[in-house]
Amino acid sequence: MILSKIFKNTLLVLASCLVLTACATKKVDTVGGQMQSDVYTGTDTVEYLADGVPDRVFFATNETVLTTASRETLRAQATWLRKNSNINVVLEGHADERGTREYNLALGERRANSAKDYLMTYGISSDRISVLSYGKERPVDAGSNPLAWSKNRRSVTVKAN
Amino acid sequence: MKKKFIILFLLLILPIKVFALIEVDITRGNLNPLPLAVSPLSIDNKSKKSFEKILKKENIGSEISTIVENNLRTSGLFNPLNKDAFLQAPEIANLKPRFEDWNLIKAQALITGKVTYVDEKLRVEFRLWDVLAAKEMMALAFTTVPNNWRRVGHIISDKVYERLTGEKGYFDTRIIYVAEEGPKTQRKKRLAIMDQDGANNKFLTLGNELVLTPRFNPTSQMVTYLSYFKNLPRVYLLDIETGTQEVVGDFPGMTFAPRFSPNGKKIIMSFAKDGKSDIYTMDLENRIVERITNHPSIDTSPSYSPNGKFIAFNSDRSGYQQIYIMKSDGKNVKRISFGNGIYGTPVWSPRGDLIAFTKLHKGKFYIGVMRTDGTGERLLTENYYQEAPSWSPNGRVLIFYRETKTNSKGEGFSAKLWSIDLTGYNERLVKTVTDASDPSWSSLLSN
Amino acid sequence: MNRSIIISSALHGILIFITAMSLPFLAKKPLDIPPIVSVELIQITEKTNIPFAPKAKKIIEKIKEKEKKLVSEQAPPKKVKKNKTKTVVALDQNSEIENQRPDAIPLPEKNVKKIKTKKEKKQNPDKVDEEVKQVSEFEKKELFDPTNIAALIDKSKVDSAEVVKKNDDITQDKDRSIENTGLTLSEEDALKAQIFGCWSIPLGLPYNEDLLVRIKLMLEPDGSVKKTEILDHARMNKPGQGFYKVLAESALRAVKLCQPLRVPTTGYERWKELQLNFDAREMLEG
Repeated sequence: MILSKIFKNTLLVLASCLVLTACATKKVDTVGGQMQSDVYTGTDTVEYLADGVPDRVFFATNETVLTTASRETLRAQATWLRKNSNINVVLEGHADERGTREYNLALGERRANSAKDYLMTYGISSDRISVLSYGKERPVDAGSNPLAWSKNRRSVTVKAN
Repeated sequence: MKKKFIILFLLLILPIKVFALIEVDITRGNLNPLPLAVSPLSIDNKSKKSFEKILKKENIGSEISTIVENNLRTSGLFNPLNKDAFLQAPEIANLKPRFEDWNLIKAQALITGKVTYVDEKLRVEFRLWDVLAAKEMMALAFTTVPNNWRRVGHIISDKVYERLTGEKGYFDTRIIYVAEEGPKTQRKKRLAIMDQDGANNKFLTLGNELVLTPRFNPTSQMVTYLSYFKNLPRVYLLDIETGTQEVVGDFPGMTFAPRFSPNGKKIIMSFAKDGKSDIYTMDLENRIVERITNHPSIDTSPSYSPNGKFIAFNSDRSGYQQIYIMKSDGKNVKRISFGNGIYGTPVWSPRGDLIAFTKLHKGKFYIGVMRTDGTGERLLTENYYQEAPSWSPNGRVLIFYRETKTNSKGEGFSAKLWSIDLTGYNERLVKTVTDASDPSWSSLLSN
Repeated sequence: MNRSIIISSALHGILIFITAMSLPFLAKKPLDIPPIVSVELIQITEKTNIPFAPKAKKIIEKIKEKEKKLVSEQAPPKKVKKNKTKTVVALDQNSEIENQRPDAIPLPEKNVKKIKTKKEKKQNPDKVDEEVKQVSEFEKKELFDPTNIAALIDKSKVDSAEVVKKNDDITQDKDRSIENTGLTLSEEDALKAQIFGCWSIPLGLPYNEDLLVRIKLMLEPDGSVKKTEILDHARMNKPGQGFYKVLAESALRAVKLCQPLRVPTTGYERWKELQLNFDAREMLEG
């Protein structure tokens, strides 16, 4: 009687251990590859303005600070813009769906502006850059999960002409 | 002598003691909705036929009472009883209700009435009865064009609501909102307006450009909203009578989050430039623009107090979005939200005593109310995503929108309007033709 | 390498063993006995054994509550004074809902005419004042009573009789239960429970306003209601007292709905007149 109880409990403990480990690995699988501390690092949604010039940068939740990768992307864009001085761009700022609509509009504007500021420090005239915020209105990924949200927190550089 | 006096005195006071009025404090009762009976409005055959021809409704009398019944039920304060249980025919009940009959089915109040067709007009007479006291509480009559029959139903509902609760109703009102269609990543949005109960829906824009956050002015004739016309997000003003539109102010950038001042003479909104959003007002008469806040943070979602002396708004100056209030000139900025989480979209109640808000905490969105000093926070409803509360004109009900979580493939998205009253118990889906968001409640159309 | 694996698995094994062993002990803990759901039986006895303390407590609580209320009433002045409109009812005086242009976007009607009368500011300061006075008086007497009685004991009997009388007026509640001039607690509870069930509280009432309706009942020996009287009836038809009227009407309905009232089987003389104080704030707040 007691032995069988112990046996049962052993099984229970083992099973719960297994369940827990399963949880841990799964998380690493889906998110770990494409996100780094909340910022999207994948390339699923990225388009290119020219060879080696990605069109967008990503942000952490509620943040407007550019990451190292984002700065690299923007430097590439600046170089490309200097080469093509006839091209003007619109920076479209976006937010994820986890905020109120009006605040997100302001947040998108702020994200696009931090990209704009960076381009300007690399010598691109502010006349060539305009800013447009869509807030949470134009998500690129319709999902309701952290990965989808990370793809949607972005500033996209779009050719204006 | 002394003894006699004492006896006399005792005799005097004893009866008082014995028959001292016993007092019993009744501090509790049931909070069930009040059971009442809405007897179908009676109608004579001739009138019935006339209305059938004009309105294509078989029995306009019962149609109107159905409206009344639905309104009262959705308020959560009344429980209209099933008509099948009614013992008295409408035409007799209207003349002289047999109160015992209505008492029998546990109705505490009774609504009766009569519809007639007079001079090409609809004439509705209605009475409200207190069944238990066996007396008439109210009697009114309306005359209008037949097409207005729904509004008659709403006005009757308002009158009954006011007579039985002591405060004004909110049924003869409209909702302006954003009608949504299409996939989540490419939503088509149009301005739409409908009666409070979802009837008479009309689209006001074609959907060529993105439109957001429409809000009524105090007379409910004008609407201010955000449009992405020509990809320039700007605050617009729309006269719903004439259909004319204009941009509000001449700002070199995005203006958004507009609302009217309580007297309707100003529009308050946010203007975003160089990564910071501040609050501005524009006087609609002299077009003078005034800057209200000046801070490197995001200040948005401004809302005036009903007396126009204060403004509530949300700002991330503390690091996260929180609710602040200030004087209408921008002085005395004071943070009022101190609970856990992020707070936004403050909206001052028409009574002035509460501020409704959206709260995000641990991945859940809440609609709640707090007093204007930030105390007494009450969360009314929790969901995956919901925001943008708007008050009913009597300050008892909030309408807001709720979006669903999509599945792993990004499917299953929907946006719907919901209402909830201040008790937090009476939550209801507001039916709309399409998906819907950003509702704004009008004032009472008839005063 | 191998060694570490062995050590690790051994340690894990021990851990699992310990956990497994400890679980049965945990299981040996006494089972949670589901709490017995108590049904409160209201026994109606002639006399209550606990006459004094609960009543006194009640009085103290009442005072506290009143004080609290006073504080909150004084603190933040109301931001908005509501304008209440009183509609005088008149049948056959048509209210006109004007025609609407069918194709235009419908407009708010300004022309819905009604037979309206006075608009008056809501508020009645007199009432609040009265409250203030009452409370302070109450307090004073409570405080001064005991010492005074002691001081007066030696004095002439006439004097003490007077004191008793005074005392009586102030703390009726106490006396009632001692001398059985009122209802016993259990009798009162039975009556309360009955009326609680009948009273549909108007859910639209404001919880922050001073609303109390006092109704005097004249009863038949079987508990049916001979006559009802609203004690401050004047307030009923005062303009701007819409909420009061609504509350009063709901209270009257409750009484009507409840009759015959659950009154004690004996002592008709005691309770042939009853006063009910209807106060919904507690419910509306919570």
